[in-house]
Amino acid sequence: MLDFMENVQNAFYEASHWNLDNSYGALNATARALLDFQTPKGLRLQISSLAAPNFATSYTLGTVGVVDGSVSYLYSSLPLTRELKSSNLDLHHVIKGYRHLQELRKPDEDWWWEIWHDGKRIDRRDTLLYGRIFLPQSRLEALYLRRLTPTKQLRISAVSDSSLNNGGTILTLLQKDTGKYSTEYMYSTDSALMGFRGLYNFGVDPRLAPTTPVTVPQILDPVHGRFSAGAELYYGLLNKSGGLSTGLRFTTLPNHPGFPYTMTLTMNPLMGNLSSTYALKAGPNLALCSRFDFNFYSYESELQLGCELWRRRRNTEVEWAVKKLRPDWKRPAVAPDDDVSGILKARVDQDWRIGLSWEGRIKELLFTLGASLDLKKREQIFRAVGIELQYSS
Amino acid sequence: MAFNFNWSPLMADTSRARDMLTTALNKSPKPPIIVDDIIVTELNLGSTPPELEILEVGDLAEDRFRGIFKMSYTGDAFLTLKTKVQANPLNTYLSTKPDFASPQPLAAAASLTIPLQITLSDIRLSGFVILVFSKQKGLTLVFRNDPLESLKVSSTFDSIPFVRDYLQKEIEGQLRVLFMEDLPAIIHRLSLRLWSSEYEEETEERLDPPKDTTVPIDPLATPPQDAVDEFGNPLDSSQISALSLDDGVHASFSQKNIKRLAALSESQHTLSLFTPEMREVVYRAWAGQSDRPESGVNTPSLTRSSLSRIHSTFGSTKSAGSSVNSEHSAGNETTNSRPSLSSNNSAFAGLSLGAGRSRASQMRNRKKRVVDLRRTGDGAESSNTSTGAANTPMTSTNVSETASVIPEEYEEEPVTPPRSPLKAGRSEQSVTTNGLLPAAPLLESPPKFSKSKSKAKGEPPSTPIREPEKYDRSRPPLSNNRLRSARQSTSPLLRSLSLDQISTRNPSSKKSSKSKEQPESSGGILEQAWMLKMAQEIAKKVHEDKEREAAEMDAPPAYVA
Repeated sequence: MLDFMENVQNAFYEASHWNLDNSYGALNATARALLDFQTPKGLRLQISSLAAPNFATSYTLGTVGVVDGSVSYLYSSLPLTRELKSSNLDLHHVIKGYRHLQELRKPDEDWWWEIWHDGKRIDRRDTLLYGRIFLPQSRLEALYLRRLTPTKQLRISAVSDSSLNNGGTILTLLQKDTGKYSTEYMYSTDSALMGFRGLYNFGVDPRLAPTTPVTVPQILDPVHGRFSAGAELYYGLLNKSGGLSTGLRFTTLPNHPGFPYTMTLTMNPLMGNLSSTYALKAGPNLALCSRFDFNFYSYESELQLGCELWRRRRNTEVEWAVKKLRPDWKRPAVAPDDDVSGILKARVDQDWRIGLSWEGRIKELLFTLGASLDLKKREQIFRAVGIELQYSS
Repeated sequence: MAFNFNWSPLMADTSRARDMLTTALNKSPKPPIIVDDIIVTELNLGSTPPELEILEVGDLAEDRFRGIFKMSYTGDAFLTLKTKVQANPLNTYLSTKPDFASPQPLAAAASLTIPLQITLSDIRLSGFVILVFSKQKGLTLVFRNDPLESLKVSSTFDSIPFVRDYLQKEIEGQLRVLFMEDLPAIIHRLSLRLWSSEYEEETEERLDPPKDTTVPIDPLATPPQDAVDEFGNPLDSSQISALSLDDGVHASFSQKNIKRLAALSESQHTLSLFTPEMREVVYRAWAGQSDRPESGVNTPSLTRSSLSRIHSTFGSTKSAGSSVNSEHSAGNETTNSRPSLSSNNSAFAGLSLGAGRSRASQMRNRKKRVVDLRRTGDGAESSNTSTGAANTPMTSTNVSETASVIPEEYEEEPVTPPRSPLKAGRSEQSVTTNGLLPAAPLLESPPKFSKSKSKAKGEPPSTPIREPEKYDRSRPPLSNNRLRSARQSTSPLLRSLSLDQISTRNPSSKKSSKSKEQPESSGGILEQAWMLKMAQEIAKKVHEDKEREAAEMDAPPAYVA
């Protein structure tokens, strides 16, 4: 389950029309959400609040043997309108599952953002400031996010911790997303790591779409899927080492008639690593995913399977009546996923390491129950068990 | 000094060392590039032993050694390790970074673990080694500086310069840790294992001191290399042999005395007035004895230089006692009012260390010197013992000047305590002297020493007294600390003796110092005889010294003479 602050940041992206999915880093976001989800450890409580549309605070308290906690503040120059109260927020916003990619939208024109007053531009760049301090460790995380132009974003994240080399590290990320392609340049002060990431979407260029005349076949045979390719390249100036990878993705779009699915293939030619994932949304409540890793240098392979299941309460008393209703008659829903009793995520790999998490909402509390097991170690099957509780207002 | 390394047996079996190295290498947190346990698959010490150059020897004894060496090694030893490493530098780099500011690459950080075999060869070491060995504590080897000069790391990644350099750097770092921290621990453990049997024996002895009697060491069985008589004159071998053959049972004679001394000291611990007689005394001077922790405490209070030396060397004797003695003795050499207890202490010291040592003292070698007091005349001594406990301190002080004399006094002293209960006056004296002592079981020890009492009355102590032994046995085991110090003396006899001294000395000596006013008992015959023997020139000096001491009373300088 997403942290409150991550949710707020996503809300900022949404409000500033930034597409998080159109990045090479998010190429296999679906597989990671279904296979690499974190299981909580120990007990963790979080109380958060969006005190004003521009300001959010969050406090966490956790115990994993020792009590620790964190305090975080967030400021956004852009008023955030997303519902963030834990009592009635959209569970899809906080639970990372199958990511159903939408049609690419044309980026905003620059002049859309211009606000003129008395012959002068008075508009300002949307900015997000975020800071979080972990108390016993005295570790500080800071984030500066700025939408330079409708297609550009600057993201500077820093961590200050005495246990790190040089006392901390700063990562600067300059992202450009034109819809058709996206590029990212990064620089990390740690060993002067420089990086580049790029993603190219084959198919229709969303920027040109409105101007070209629409032909009949295009309407009759709309694009059902999107094919993307990308690559990343890193080089550390100080340690003179680098890394690179390339990736491909095919994903279905909402107008795909069948069930949605996503396939990715990433390759690291330097290290000989090949990874393929296949994820499908078998129904509105079920998503399945598999990943196969193979290294053609060491011949090591790994297989992981995962699933996501949304359990909904059935009101059997009125079920028959609902069925008799006309399908186009909209029922008044109190909350979008009010009938969701919980979301089960499970993963297993070829070594019988199992991860389980059960997330949901009880009254106004969001909860996450999780456990990771290792069936091969008989003496200690449970590796970690935990529960997380979130409340936000 | 030269070292003859027997290197080949070391090469023979390295499996144990391999195991220890494996555990040592896996103990410290490994760098992130190493993703599996490090296993030592091959260890060969090579055919060339290291070169050692002695820079300094701080302590040398049969069971102890402390020295500083300069070590250099340019041999052909090699070591082969097996492990698995992370071949992706980006992966290791990111694994230590916080996620929040990490670039979070998609697949560029994919892990690739590669089995790695590393061979360390051409090891060049040079450094200063501090080596401390003691039988009880095993072998401790510490590098004063970083000994690793260079080594060659050859691995499966030699063709990739970056990885090669990285491995070289990491391994050198780990090896430095190994040399500076882990290797000393390994060697220490190995040495303890090697001497474990003796170690156990030692502990046994510590727990049960009386057992020492079962393995007596006959000091005369192997004649001391430079024995001296009472006056410090070297004895020739014939004399020594004569000494040793006196009884025909020479093996037991010193032992008995020592036991008697033990009994004596024990009796002083209480209010018991009994003092076993000491006919023959054996001195053993050990080079390292002065180094014992207790010695420092004792020395300052001693008045006589020789005494002090003795005390210091022996370590267990109490300074206070000696000072008292000196005071008492100050006035008269032969007959002296003395607190029997204090005198006993000094006597002990003399016994343990041997006058010879003090004389030849300056040079600290570990040769044993034996002084046989019997030569001074059994009859005289015995008579002395019976009569003059009070005098003993005097003698001791005198003796101290001429280191050789000391044994006699303690012969006398042991005798005195038993006497006191018998003789009314004497007993009174002793009581007065001991007035400060807690009312300990006065009678406990005396009954055991009935024989000695009789001797004290004037019988020549011709027959060795057995009681002390029993007494020894009956004693509860001493505390470990004391025992440990005692243990350092190599011979079990000395050990037991020292134990007794240690255990009893402190309280008795203090009390005795307060009791210095005691009227001196008539000078023991033995003492007189002894004094007669003493060189004339010494007598004067001693006299002066005693007077001075008497004036100084409490804190005479340790090494006045």
